[in-house]
Amino acid sequence: MKIMHDDSHLSDQQLLLNLDNELSAQDAKRVHEHLGECWKCRTRSQELESTIGEFVRIEERDLAAKLPPAAGQRALLKGRLAQLSTSESAFHPLHGFRWVLAAGAAGLLGLGLLIVRSAMDRQTHSHARAVIISVPDSRLTPGAALLASRQAVCTEANTKNKAVPVALQRKVFDAYGIASAGRGEYEVDYLITPALGGADDIHNLWPQSSSATVWNAEVKDALEDRLREMVCDGNLDLREAQQEIAANWIAAYKKYFHTDQPQSR
Amino acid sequence: MPADPTTLTVIAPLVAASQANAEPHEAEQQVVALFDQFRDRLLRYLLCFGLTVPDSEEVIQEVFLSLFQHLQNGRPRNNLRGWIFRVAHNLALKRRGRNRRNLETPVEAGAEYLAVDPAPDPEEQLVHSQSQRHLMAAFLALPERDRRCLALRAESLRYREIARILDMSLGAVSLSLARSLARLARSSER
Repeated sequence: MKIMHDDSHLSDQQLLLNLDNELSAQDAKRVHEHLGECWKCRTRSQELESTIGEFVRIEERDLAAKLPPAAGQRALLKGRLAQLSTSESAFHPLHGFRWVLAAGAAGLLGLGLLIVRSAMDRQTHSHARAVIISVPDSRLTPGAALLASRQAVCTEANTKNKAVPVALQRKVFDAYGIASAGRGEYEVDYLITPALGGADDIHNLWPQSSSATVWNAEVKDALEDRLREMVCDGNLDLREAQQEIAANWIAAYKKYFHTDQPQSR
Repeated sequence: MPADPTTLTVIAPLVAASQANAEPHEAEQQVVALFDQFRDRLLRYLLCFGLTVPDSEEVIQEVFLSLFQHLQNGRPRNNLRGWIFRVAHNLALKRRGRNRRNLETPVEAGAEYLAVDPAPDPEEQLVHSQSQRHLMAAFLALPERDRRCLALRAESLRYREIARILDMSLGAVSLSLARSLARLARSSER
């Protein structure tokens, strides 16, 4: 850029290039000399600088305060990255359904574990500030169930909404990367409900958004009641019910309630 | 998780899975750290595009998934900030093009986070001086390209990075910035 050397003043562009340290050493020297001599240009330079200062302050304070929180998106990203890493390695532990049976269990119940792949999805409510987690991250929460018999499950009382120990809740939040400040937005819930043999295990727990308005905890409860009823009436296999709820409970709801939208209760 | 046979929750394969989760890949950690650093800035920048909040969030997800691939493929790690904004910008253009083709998409829906409230409540009025509100209004009234130049510069991008992202010459970038700042300066004098 040609820096004027006669009586004329520096342009805003030249002043800004100087402020932003974008001039060549030679031009910067000339501008510096001119500013030393010229009150007008120096004042203008200060005006530009203070406008920048004001703009930065407003951006930082005003806008940041209005942005929706990042916790849900962060958890989503972590889950997706984990899936990417997994799919890039030779071993695909979570691809498709996989049952692992452990031998050596005594008593009425066998011992087992269910790992199911679940679809990852999210839903945003048009006015909600937080991103809603409606379906858990399948790698963090694949679902885990006891290999309990139908009879054992159905003779137990309906243990829905069983409390999750606080320490375990904390572990779930940590795994999902949800900071303490954002935890009020979520409730740690069983993916496969204990009423259907779901295990008290971190792999069966996920942070469900409390502010979800469509696919919320109440809707999931309705699905669980329906599935338990079907299982205990002998109309649905227990394992199948566990798999479906773990794979994608929303899809399961749509299937068993024959609807695309949750029914009001 | 301890293998306690009385709890009937098992375990061996789960332990392996949970350990894998506990030690995410280095690139994963780096990407999440960069997400933490840039998410708000990117969101703000994308809202300036007129993208909705959900659209902007999806663009941001795409940016960081691409970044993960970029790092995995051993691509250059210097100036990741420039890379992140460049990719976000391009993805946002694509998405906006798609939205416009799909008509009826409320392209200004994200503006709720940017708009200057004409009648802020008294508490807010204390915080925001008149001149700051004028300044913000002047910023939002700038031509889109000028607004982007300024937004990128505010994210500490150098002129050549801005020129590359917005496909402008260096001279055009400095002219745009000077013009915008002159307008903002006038507005806050009012």
